[in-house]
Amino acid sequence: MQDRTTDVLVIGAGPAGSMTAKWAAKHGARVVMIEKRQEIGSPVRCGEGISKGWLEEVGIRPGKWVNLEVEGARIYSPSEKVFEVNEKHAGNEVGYVIERDGFDKQLAIDAANAGAEILLKTAAVSILKDHGRVVGAKVKQFGEPYEIHASVTIGADGFESQVGRWAGLPTNIATKDMDTCLQYRMTSVDCDVRYCDFFLGRVAPGGYVWVFPKGEGLANVGIGVQVSQVQHPADPRTYLDQWIATHPGYAKGKKIDMVGGGVSISPPIRQSVTDGLMLVGDAARMIDPLTGGGIANGCIAGKICGTVAAEAAHAGDPSAGFLQRYDKGWRARLEEKLYRNWLAKEKLVTLSDETFDKVIDALSDVTLEKLNVHNILKAVHEKYPEVTKEFEAFL
Amino acid sequence: MPGKKSLHIESSGQLCIYCGACVGICPLNCIYLDEVRITFDESVCTRCEICVKACPVGAIEIG
Repeated sequence: MQDRTTDVLVIGAGPAGSMTAKWAAKHGARVVMIEKRQEIGSPVRCGEGISKGWLEEVGIRPGKWVNLEVEGARIYSPSEKVFEVNEKHAGNEVGYVIERDGFDKQLAIDAANAGAEILLKTAAVSILKDHGRVVGAKVKQFGEPYEIHASVTIGADGFESQVGRWAGLPTNIATKDMDTCLQYRMTSVDCDVRYCDFFLGRVAPGGYVWVFPKGEGLANVGIGVQVSQVQHPADPRTYLDQWIATHPGYAKGKKIDMVGGGVSISPPIRQSVTDGLMLVGDAARMIDPLTGGGIANGCIAGKICGTVAAEAAHAGDPSAGFLQRYDKGWRARLEEKLYRNWLAKEKLVTLSDETFDKVIDALSDVTLEKLNVHNILKAVHEKYPEVTKEFEAFL
Repeated sequence: MPGKKSLHIESSGQLCIYCGACVGICPLNCIYLDEVRITFDESVCTRCEICVKACPVGAIEIG
């Protein structure tokens, strides 16, 4: 293979990568997006639940990849008191269960239609540097090595990002800021297709068990456990199997698929750009630390990233100074909520099962107009004033 | 390395599901995932055992 040159090189064809490639191409840049796998979107490593309020903002129209639309979420305390979050108080946070492989493919198609070139079975093996500036990557396509030179290189290579580390960006995460996750796709389960369900407390230390319905008795049943709370190897599997065994509607189900992975639940990355390079999506630790959801933020940041990448290529200035526009842009849109949710997560993981029960019990009694920390605490305070003492910092 | 515990990643597929959780958390970036193969750099690894905890299926052992 011959070395080649492009304006923008995107490493990784997940949602954040495809979104970046699409918007860079839309703004007139020559874009090459590489994907190490042979198939975009597969294997699926995802709970497949997304909110829907942000789709229009980044130019995604719901398509065949929408599996089903839910009415709300139900949050279960350890003794299984339940609090229902519906569209009325959560607005567009409530959303879809999706076919993630179809979703990723649609985003790649959008990128291709905008003019991006896509190379499959092409892995980045190192980044190229010139006087400290990133100027592309050494890749292997079908095992054959060559170099792709680019004005701007984008690391969209997911949770286990190598690109960020190669470039020296601060992607390291603490064990308390990562969940280790396992999920089964199960058939013949009794789940309610109107809701995504979340089970908190000791069933999943520092995380939660989720049930996202896929229709016709099919559901994604998964767990995230905070790595710092893992006591024994394979705890996620042990906890999840235990949860299933103690819930008859699921114990009778059959597992047809199993996926795992790491999810960062950290504060936002301190620096997402360096000379010639930007990080986006899970690679930039943009996952919501409270929900573990990464698709929305990855796509929102991807639009900004692609736009800035094209601007930098046109201006002939891929310096960190220029690329700060992206860092500033995504922070303006996402950082406050990421940080607030990280603080909330830090608090939530310290709560006892008894406190979780009281909080959910208090919430299930009242009708909240809008779901925010203030309203939640007000409701809890009325019934269990002693519990809110723990949350004074949030008021 | 004398005195160092041994790290074993069961990546033949009996346990490992190639999810990359260990790769992402390794503070020294010495675990590599290559489609269906996980390897680690013996000379860099300090046996901090973080990857053992991060593995959702218990495919990493230290002894």
